[in-house]
Amino acid sequence: MNATAPLIEVDKLDAWYGQRQVLHAVDFTVTSGEIRVIMGGSGSGKSTLLRHLLGLQRPAAGSVRLFGVDMGKASERERLDVRKRIGVSFQGGALLTSLSVGENVALPLREHTDLDESTIRIMSRLKLEVVNLGGFQDLMPSQLSGGMVKRAALARAIVMDPRLLFFDEPSAGLDPVVSAELDELILRLRDALRMTIVVVTHELESAFKIADTITVLDQGRVLLTGSVAQVRAADNERIQDLLNRRPREMQVDAEAYLRRLTQEQT
Amino acid sequence: MTANPNEILREDASGQVLIRLRGEVDLSWTQDVRRAVLAAFDAGKPVGIDLSAVDYIDSSGIAALVEGLQKARAQGLGFALVAPSAAVRAVLELARLDQVFKIVANAAALTAPA
Amino acid sequence: MSALERPLQGLGRATIGAISGVGYAAMLLVESLYYCVAGRRLGQRVRLAAIVRQMREIGVDALPIVALLGFTVGLMLGIQFIASLAEFGAQSQVVVAVAKSVTREFGALITAILVAGRSGSALAARIGSMSVSQEVDALAVIGIEPVRYLVAPALIAMLVMLPVLTIFANAVAIIGAALYSAPALNVTPSAYLLQTLSLLTPGDVWQGLSKSVVFALLITLIGVSTGFSVTGGAEGVGRATTRAVVLSICWIIVVDMVFSFFINR
Repeated sequence: MNATAPLIEVDKLDAWYGQRQVLHAVDFTVTSGEIRVIMGGSGSGKSTLLRHLLGLQRPAAGSVRLFGVDMGKASERERLDVRKRIGVSFQGGALLTSLSVGENVALPLREHTDLDESTIRIMSRLKLEVVNLGGFQDLMPSQLSGGMVKRAALARAIVMDPRLLFFDEPSAGLDPVVSAELDELILRLRDALRMTIVVVTHELESAFKIADTITVLDQGRVLLTGSVAQVRAADNERIQDLLNRRPREMQVDAEAYLRRLTQEQT
Repeated sequence: MTANPNEILREDASGQVLIRLRGEVDLSWTQDVRRAVLAAFDAGKPVGIDLSAVDYIDSSGIAALVEGLQKARAQGLGFALVAPSAAVRAVLELARLDQVFKIVANAAALTAPA
Repeated sequence: MSALERPLQGLGRATIGAISGVGYAAMLLVESLYYCVAGRRLGQRVRLAAIVRQMREIGVDALPIVALLGFTVGLMLGIQFIASLAEFGAQSQVVVAVAKSVTREFGALITAILVAGRSGSALAARIGSMSVSQEVDALAVIGIEPVRYLVAPALIAMLVMLPVLTIFANAVAIIGAALYSAPALNVTPSAYLLQTLSLLTPGDVWQGLSKSVVFALLITLIGVSTGFSVTGGAEGVGRATTRAVVLSICWIIVVDMVFSFFINR
């Protein structure tokens, strides 16, 4: 594969939830080695975009390519090969509750490699050390605090040394110190393991600290993709609203408003 | 960026065994690296792993080194990483393993008393 | 017009929902079988350890309760048949009546209803809570097909263990009936059991077993498909669990009737 080819290419992606369109012709490109933050308020479509990037949802229109593979059209084998090269840390951790922390972290290695059991043990514990959870491998996920679950999920996400790491809301529900530690860890992972990282967040502070580039989503549309400085300087009103935590000014379409209030249920 | 061929070289000297690794140490051939590292103890001499020409090492590579250290401890032999490159150092530091491995600047320092 | 339209729309929606539910369950069945056969080649091997664990949970752990219920049902049948056949002076027919009704009908039915309550609900709850907490998504992005990891082992285990439990329930129920009926017929329990064996044909036992295979499919597919379609957090998981049990039991009884009708025509 060409080293300069983008790792992620999204082309004119549309997505629908029932009758409601949640993504409108989204274009999105991430090149190797960068930390990209997808930023937006709730309902901006950022979670839907992430689900498409992970191949959990098929595009209604447009395409999503990871490592040059079109996830909507790829064969099962090709999709599996892509998935071995990505790691995902979900918002709530999504550790399998029936497995211990150590087994959770080792799961991708057990399923996808023929490595020696001792190598698997060392690799998975190494990753627990990296996220500062050394020695916690025998606990069950239910015995961990919120911050620990997030870190264990991160350890599982990076256990295969993925080229591409997705991180959904790293700081949601964490106290400021723990979330600052996670931000620090994301930066170190990129530098030491040469990962390309996509972070979905609504936390401005953390976004500005870790991002190389930021994509701002609003109501299913990309408002801007640019460096931290470009985003800060943007004169787009919605971006400034987001930056300054201003409630958005709702434009009232009298016709539509009246219809919403009075229409009988369909 | 020139494509660096991956290779393992073994140099048996009188007082030590030196394994030179080269290229990108990743999952595709770490099984070989692991075997070479573990086999180096056959001679019953201290073992050094030269990592100066390694551009990238993933955690399966690090795991092979950890297993080497474990075997060295069990057999009471010396084990050291020789002149790790910046890329290797970054990974070692990420997992704080730079405080666990003995790291020396060159092969000559291997035989020096610890 | 809208007075008629509303219920019609509701009926239409329910029908579409039911058809798509059956379609979804069928798809899960086909996929699980596909992974059992071709999984190794695709890097999606169905693990023996997972099947064995499911077999223990579905089968071995259910033995005490199956024994208890089987025994009770056998006893009950003994009591009823003695009482009702005595009216015609035909007590001696109790042996054949119990033997055939247990092996053809009650063994499979009681076991299936019990397992639907125990394991069908457990499957729905487990997969439902995993969907809610994104564990199913996590499996998918790790590259572990959820159907292969969660459904296939349960399906295989159920297909093996439900017939085994049914045979066990048959035996225990007949022993239960023997303990009550033998004294009433003035024979020893062992003579009762020997007579039962001589009266039973392989066809009787096969009838029960073939039904239990179908029940196994129903319980698993209803359990997992309601589990995967959970929405709405913890409350949704609770609803799905109840729904899985009720649906399974309804289907089991209806399918049992249809089966009995065609086999005994």
